[in-house]
Formats: sequence, C-alpha cells, structure tokens
Amino acid sequence: MALKAEHGEAATVVAGGTFVGIMVNQRLMAPAAFLSLRDVPGLAYVRANEELRLGAMTTHRTVELSPEVCEGWPALASAFAVVASPRVRNQATVGGVLADADHASDPPSMLLALGARAVARSVRGEREIPIEDLILDFYSTSLEHDELLVEVRVPGGPHGAVYRKFRSRSHEDRPAVGVAACRRQGELRVVVGAVAGRPQWFPALCDPSRDPAEVGRAYADAVEPISDVSGSASYRRRVIAVEVRRALVDLA
Amino acid sequence: MNLRFRLNGEAVEVEARTDEMLHDVLNRLGCVSVRETCGIGVCGACTVLLEGEAVSGCLLLAPLAEGREVTTVEGLGGDDPVQTAFAEVHAFQCGYCTPGMVLAAARLLEENPSPAEEEIRLGLAGNLCRCGSYVKIVEAVRLAARRKEGAWTS
Amino acid sequence: MTDPRVTGRARYAEDLEAEGMLHARIVRSPYPHARVTGLDASQVPEGCVVLLPEDVRDLGRYGVQIRDQSVLAGRPRHVGDPVAAVAAGSARAAEEAAASLFVDYEELPAVPDVLQAVQPGAPLVHEGHELASTGAAYFGLRPQQGTNVCHRFRIRDGDVAGGFEQAEAVVDETFRVAGAHHAAMEPHACLARWEQGRLEVQTGTQTPFNLREELAGIFGLEPERVRVVCRPMGGSFGAKTFLRTEAIAAALARKAGRPVKLVLPRDEEWQTLNRHPAVVRVKLGARADGTFTAAQIECYADTGAYADSGPGVAQKMGFAAPGPYRIPNVAVDAYCVYTNLPPNGAFRGYGQMQSTWARERAVDLLADRLGLDPLELRLKNLLREGDRYCTGEPMHDVHYAECLERAAEAIGWRDDRRGKGLSVILKGMQTPSRAAIAVEAGDDGTYVLRCATAEMGQGAIHAITLLAAELLGVEPDRVRFPAPDTDVVPFDTRTTSSRSTYMMGRALEAAVRDLQANGGRRGFGEVANAGGLDPDTGQGVASTHWHQAAAGAEVRVDEETGKLEVVRLHTAVYAGRVVNRPGAELQNEGSMIMGLGSALFEEVVFRDGQVVNPNLSDYAIPSFADLPERMTHELLEGESGEIHGLGETALPPVPPAIGNAVASLGLELFDLPMTPERVTEAIERRVGVKA
Repeated sequence: MALKAEHGEAATVVAGGTFVGIMVNQRLMAPAAFLSLRDVPGLAYVRANEELRLGAMTTHRTVELSPEVCEGWPALASAFAVVASPRVRNQATVGGVLADADHASDPPSMLLALGARAVARSVRGEREIPIEDLILDFYSTSLEHDELLVEVRVPGGPHGAVYRKFRSRSHEDRPAVGVAACRRQGELRVVVGAVAGRPQWFPALCDPSRDPAEVGRAYADAVEPISDVSGSASYRRRVIAVEVRRALVDLA
Repeated sequence: MNLRFRLNGEAVEVEARTDEMLHDVLNRLGCVSVRETCGIGVCGACTVLLEGEAVSGCLLLAPLAEGREVTTVEGLGGDDPVQTAFAEVHAFQCGYCTPGMVLAAARLLEENPSPAEEEIRLGLAGNLCRCGSYVKIVEAVRLAARRKEGAWTS
Repeated sequence: MTDPRVTGRARYAEDLEAEGMLHARIVRSPYPHARVTGLDASQVPEGCVVLLPEDVRDLGRYGVQIRDQSVLAGRPRHVGDPVAAVAAGSARAAEEAAASLFVDYEELPAVPDVLQAVQPGAPLVHEGHELASTGAAYFGLRPQQGTNVCHRFRIRDGDVAGGFEQAEAVVDETFRVAGAHHAAMEPHACLARWEQGRLEVQTGTQTPFNLREELAGIFGLEPERVRVVCRPMGGSFGAKTFLRTEAIAAALARKAGRPVKLVLPRDEEWQTLNRHPAVVRVKLGARADGTFTAAQIECYADTGAYADSGPGVAQKMGFAAPGPYRIPNVAVDAYCVYTNLPPNGAFRGYGQMQSTWARERAVDLLADRLGLDPLELRLKNLLREGDRYCTGEPMHDVHYAECLERAAEAIGWRDDRRGKGLSVILKGMQTPSRAAIAVEAGDDGTYVLRCATAEMGQGAIHAITLLAAELLGVEPDRVRFPAPDTDVVPFDTRTTSSRSTYMMGRALEAAVRDLQANGGRRGFGEVANAGGLDPDTGQGVASTHWHQAAAGAEVRVDEETGKLEVVRLHTAVYAGRVVNRPGAELQNEGSMIMGLGSALFEEVVFRDGQVVNPNLSDYAIPSFADLPERMTHELLEGESGEIHGLGETALPPVPPAIGNAVASLGLELFDLPMTPERVTEAIERRVGVKA
C-alpha cells in the first residue's frame, strides 16, 4: 500500500499480467515501474460463507474450478470459464479483470448482476465499491491512484443466475454480446456486456413480472451499442433482444 | 534485474529487464521452441508450463517467473507419450505451433487422463494451428491418453 | 523417431543468425496515398543504419508481372508502404530508431474500392503500366493504359447472346468476396548479407528462383551473383511468394556492410500481403430441362497498390469461373485492378475460390428458378472424359461426377435436402511450368536430392523423399533433401499451385532413369508442361492437369441471431495416386478448415485504407472449437496413377457448399464471409421457405 501511495499513477499494478503484457507488447504502455502483487501474501483465496469472497490475485481458473463457487455461484463459475483459453485463465485474475475495465471481458457483467462489490484498500483505509460504480467506461475505473483492488465480495443466499456469451465469429472470439442475469428475492438484474464502454444495467427495465421478450426489446432500445469487427450497432441491438430474452427464459 | 528460476529441472540465472516477457528470456537461454507470434496471448505458440500450469510466455512478465519452475518442450525429453503420439500420427504440418500444442496437450492429460473428443477440442481451443492439423492433433492426444492409461493400469 | 517439430528443435527463417548481424525495421506510410515531402533522421540514435530514398536511387524497380514497385516508396500508395528503414543492434533498438525517424507527407486522393477504381476519372494508382520481363510474366498481359486495370483477360467461346436467347431461365447476380489474410504462424523473416559483391539471402520463400531474378534486377547483378537459400517456413499459404521484405534487408546490409535480419512484427503482416477481395458477376442460362446454354462472367480482382502476382490471380479467377460444366457459349472478362489498399497476391486457391463461390451459388439459384434438384442439375451438365473446355482444351482423367456423387452421399442428400448444400470445382495448375531435379549418389549408399521445392508445412519434402526412395529401391532414411539453394539446385518454376508432387515426381522419375543409365553417380531429370492462353480469346491450354473436388455441407441456422453452425462437412478430392497418405490428409483437412474460415468469418476490414483488425484477436482464424461437428474427406484414386496435387483443392468448394446449404433454408447469401449479421439480412430478404 505504501508503494502504491508513493508511486501513484507511475506504478502499474501487475496481477496475472495478461492485460499488462498485451499493453507492453503493443507499446501502448511503458510504465516507469511495475508493482507486482505476486508475492503479496494472502491475496489469492476463495472463501465462501454467507457471501463469497475472492482475493484479487485469485486466477480465473481457480474460480472456475472451485467447488464452493460451482456449488453456490455456478453462473459466476461459468462466466469465468468462458474467458479466452485455459492458458490465459491460469494467469488472469479476479482483481485484474475488474481493474482493467476491458469492455469485452465476461466476468464484470456477471459480477454486477450478482450484486458484487469490490474492496479497495489504500494507506487511507478500505472502502467497498459496487461493481456498477467501479467500472466507468472503456479501461476506466473509480479506483484512486493510491488504491488497490484487494477483494471481491459476492452476496450469497438463494438466487438464480445465468451468463450467456454470444460470439459472432470464432469460438476464440471475445463476446459480441454478453448477457448476465440474476434473480434474487423478487429482484431481477439484467446486465449486458461487450456492447458499450461499461456493463449496461437498466434497473427500471428489470421488472421480474414482465415478459422476457419485452425486457429483451426494452434493453435493445435502451443500449447505445458500439460497432466493431464483431458486429454493427444495429446487429448488436438485434442480438441483445434475443439473448436477454433467452437469459430470462434460462433463468425461469 | 537478476532473475533466477528453474528451467526444465535446472537452476538458471539470467539478466532481464523488468518489462521483458518470459518468452524473450527463454529464447536467450536457448529455448527457441517458445515462439512469440501474436503477442497478445491468443495463439498459444509461446505456451510454457509455469509450476506445471500452461501460461502464455509472451504475456508473462519475466520477473513473475522468479523462483518458479518453468517447463518448455525442450524439457520433455522427446519420449513423452504426447510427443511420440504427435510424431506417429503426423499431427503437424509446418510445426510452428507444435511445441505449444504438445505442452497444452500434456497438461490437459494430467488434468483429464481420458478426455472425450469434445473435451480435447475445447481444452486445446486456445492453441491455434493455421495449417489446420486439428483433426490429427485430436487423434494424437487420444492415442497419448490411451498409452498413458495403459502404462497406468499395467 | 523424434521429429524435430515435437522436440522443439525445428528451426525456421526467423531463427537465422549471423556474426555481427543487425536487426531491421521498416518505416511505413500512415496514408493510403501520399507523397513524401521530407525525412528527418537527425533524431535516430548513433550507430543505427538508416536507409533513405537516396540510398536506393541506383536500384532497379521490380514486380513479377508488372514492374511497379521500388525498394522504398517516394510516393507511398498504401498504408504501410515502406518509405525508409533502419537497422540496429537489436530488434528493440531498431524499433526505437524507426520511431525516431520523422517523415512529412502530402496526402493524395486515394481509391479504396475495386468498383470505384474502374470508374472513368477515378484517381490513378499508377500512371502507366510497365510490363515485367521476369519468368513469372509467362502469359500475355493486357494492361489498360490510363486506367487502374493492370491486366484484362478474356474468354470468348461460342455465341453468348444466342445462348441466352435459347435459355428458359437466366440467373444474373453479383457476388462479393472479402479480403482475407494468410496469417502464417511464422511472420516473414529473412537474413541478407554481401560477400565480395555477391548477395546472399536466406529466407522463407516458395519462389527462390523468382526471388533471385528480382534481386538481381534490383541490384544490377547477374543472377549467378545472387544466392537464395530457402529456409523451412512456419506456414505460407501463398504469403511467402516472390519478393516481400528481402530487398530492404539487402539494401540495408549493403549500406551497413554487415548482415541484416528482418522479421516482420505481426501487424505489419496485414500491410504486406492479403488475398484479393473480389466482385464477381455471373449470368448463367439454361433450358427448361436444365441444359446450360450460356455463361457470362465478369471478375474484378482488387490487387491493391501493386500488381504482384495479381494479373495471374485474376486470370485464374477468370478461367476457372465457368467451372467443370459443358457450357456451349461462354464469355469471361477478368480484370486485375489497382486500389490504394495493401498489395494482394497469391493465397491458397489462387483466385479460384472467389469465382467458384459466385458460380456455384449461381448454379443453385438457377436450380431453384428451374425447380430442379441442384445435384441433378450439376450432374446433367458436368464435364465428362474427352469433353472440350471453354478454352478449347480437351479434358482428360475427368472425375467431377464421381467427386460430386461422393459428397452428396456423405451428407445424405437424397434422403433430405433441407439444410444441405453441394458444390463442385475445377482448379488449374501452373501452366506452362518447368521442374528439374538432380539425384546424387554418395559413397555410403545414400542419395542426395537437389531441387528447389520449398517446405512450408505441406509435406512436399517428405512426399518427394518417399517417391525417390521407392524409385531408387532404398529405405527413405537413405535419401537426403537439403534446403533448396539456388547456387546448387537446378531451376524450378516455383512451389505453388499444388504442382510440386506432380511435376517434381515426374522429373524425379527421369532423374532416376538418368542415374541408372549413366553409371549410378548422378542423374538429372527435367519436365515441362507446355500451354498457355490467348489473353484476348482465352483459347489454348489453361492447365495441363486439372484439380477436381466436390463438397457437401449441412448447416443449422439460429434464425434469430443469424448464427450459422456447420454440422457436417465432407469433401471428395481426386488424388489420382496418393504418395504420402498422412500428408495428403493433412493438406485436405487444412484446406477445408481454411475454407471454413473464409466461409464464416475471415475478413480483412479496412477503414480509410487502414486495416482495422491487424491482430489475431480482431482477425479471427478457425480454432479446434470451430470445426464442424463432423468433418470428413476422401481421396479418390484413379486407374491412370497420375499424381494430382492436393495443396489447396479442398478449399474452394467449402464456402459455396455451406452457402448453398444456407440457401436451402430460403436464405440467399451473395457475399463472403457469411457472418451472422449477413445471415440476418438474408432472413429479412426471405420471401418464404422453400417447400
């Protein structure tokens, strides 16, 4: 924490290093210093009680294979399991995927739908940030320069959740549209990922009594999707309507 | 920085930049089979085993290997069941992706000694072969699995 | 036992090292069309070698069919066109040096699209077209001066207007095929050095003699003063043909007085060579009983900023376009057109995939119009033994119907046609061409083969070694096949168009006969296949030997998202005689998988002349998980025992078989790739599902 406070913006935090590795290889980043969390003790863990606590250095692969996660939060396990390849999932971490705020990553939407909070720590202390307040835009978060993301907390208790990844090209592709949905005690959350700068959640549209197709159409209208090689904005709208409906049907 | 780790069972010590990837360090140490080609962790030609787990050598900052065990295909010795199965089945064309494919397959069989065809396909999907030798690679992995299974039961 | 490919001991061009070598990096234009108005190298670190326009002023121009390229471009014509280069002690230092070289440009109007480029008044990419006199300019070129067309090829056979008058049904549609990228796992890599006025280039290339000829022309040397050594390639698929990066490395080495190595960064691969995007218009007519009466086809091949082998690609696109059918009246017009995109050149299938897509889709549209079964319509019109092709040549060793029947049977066509599609193709081989090989006996019972066939993963070396062992009556391990070296091996046209096993196999038979007749020490064998087409009528011999194949596909379509799933894919390829079975199977499977990529998602996307997706994440290539649920193929062997090349035959039939399968659901697609988005557009166009 002291190092992060001292170096602030100049020090790039490295967790698993997949994102930083790409940035360095593509010459999009040439940090003055790397702050590796590898040997910081006690940042890689899965603790499941009333709520799930994942240490920031826990790898995707660990989450995906964890019996506790598979038992209590199976949709979360499946959202981590569909990221890239086993090779990347062995490196990529829970903290990294949130702090990078890459719009086309699968887990953030699922975490948001599950009502997860990130724990940020600095020399000044610790605070909890709901995922919807953490990720602001493409590669942009509300973390302060002296803060480190150290843990993710996912509420427990009875709930139903689902994650659907829609790829428009190769199986190795990142999602053109990712839909995460969670129903908990009469509350419904639908989050659409990979279509904009941040996961798209419209609480007003998440009425659990509404027809799934209607919710799908409402989301398609509400989102302002990006256009890229995975699909145009209008195509993404079409897929959002379908995949949101399918997610809600899967949930039922 | 001075970097120390174990490479294919032997202790090594090497000078490395802090922003250098493990792939470059391994190439300097003579492990040429670890090849960076996409530079973004998509293709798997740089696959190495770090503490027995497959990772992308092109995305792993070299300092993260400090004190760890790194295995490349040079360390398999040539008579690993996966290597011999690949050679027998001709599970390659240009061979550029083969070292990464062999390591990914070896790790897959450790986790799942008798994978179904679908499990092999999904397990290796992150290793790309532009020559399109996929059908024969699946065949080779199945052959290696049968051989390992045989060795285990006999 | 231990193949070097599984032990990590395989070495490629990118592994080349030489004492004192420098690493090179190219400085490239960020504009699709511009003039360099200033270069400032003052910030380049001490000790780096900089290659500037004045350093290449004495060098000749090059281009295998049209001489339109210079080593550095003073007027860059595409994003990525080399304008300068640097060499330094490490690849990283070279990268930094390249970034410290500042270039000023004046932008010029650019033409980004093939159909815009052929409009009157379109900006000209090149003002004039100078024909090349190289060995690769082997056919009559017809550049259209004052336009962007650098070659126009025609077939005129019969009376096309009359043929359409006899037709009961006519289909007239325009099809588009996107640019694709080779994405060989190993990038372009070479090492150049000068010794006593001789240039030596070691490189991954399919075309050592063409490369030697080009380098000799550029540096004003006798060809014997240039040595090209082929290193094994980590894939090529057409990307490593002719001159790519070698002249820049050689010019840097000349200036530096030291060896220079050049390995392209991944993103620059997309600026170096891609596959021709194409627009193909097919008009096809038939009588009510399905008998074809006429075909009129226009092909526009977008060759990018430089012709490279584009004229040859356009010509093959044109002469393969009518397909393996009896069509009494045929007119084909194929154009090779400049645009301000990166150059397009040889790519597995060599233009024939593009026209095959269009024609085979048109045949299905015609069957639909006539109410006939697409299989029966094809069988009725297929070429048979001894038939005359629209080029006037007689067809021999004909197996199209057999290939098609096998493909139909494999997918259960006659049980239920819904969701299923078929296609059948012919594909030409390099004609005319020449191949030669020398066989030398050692004292210890071993033999050395000296020939220019290059290894890029296709298994040619293994196949030729097996053939030689069989002919010499020895075990394969007694036969050695050193890396092709133009100083040592006899001349060969090139390792392209799936001709090596066929041509080299025949040359080898002659060489072994020669060896046995002349004391058993050394034998030399040479074969040539004569032929060629008149560029204005398309009459002559297009190919002394035709590659033949058919494909069958079954698909499932998610009608809401347009996502297409290939459930079943089968190809039947005529092999004549199989020399190296695993190798032949790998070539077929690899071709099918590459065809699948082109069919479903591979596309080089351009915006303002810039490649939008120059990496393996944004440009997706097929993975294990993209394979069809069932993918099978068969190699048909024939009585004649003649070897048929297999390097690319199974690629062109794959996209139209899938496209026709989608069409059987009432979804008509005209453009490749068949992305889910395009499928949804077809869903919106659909008037009703066919019965």
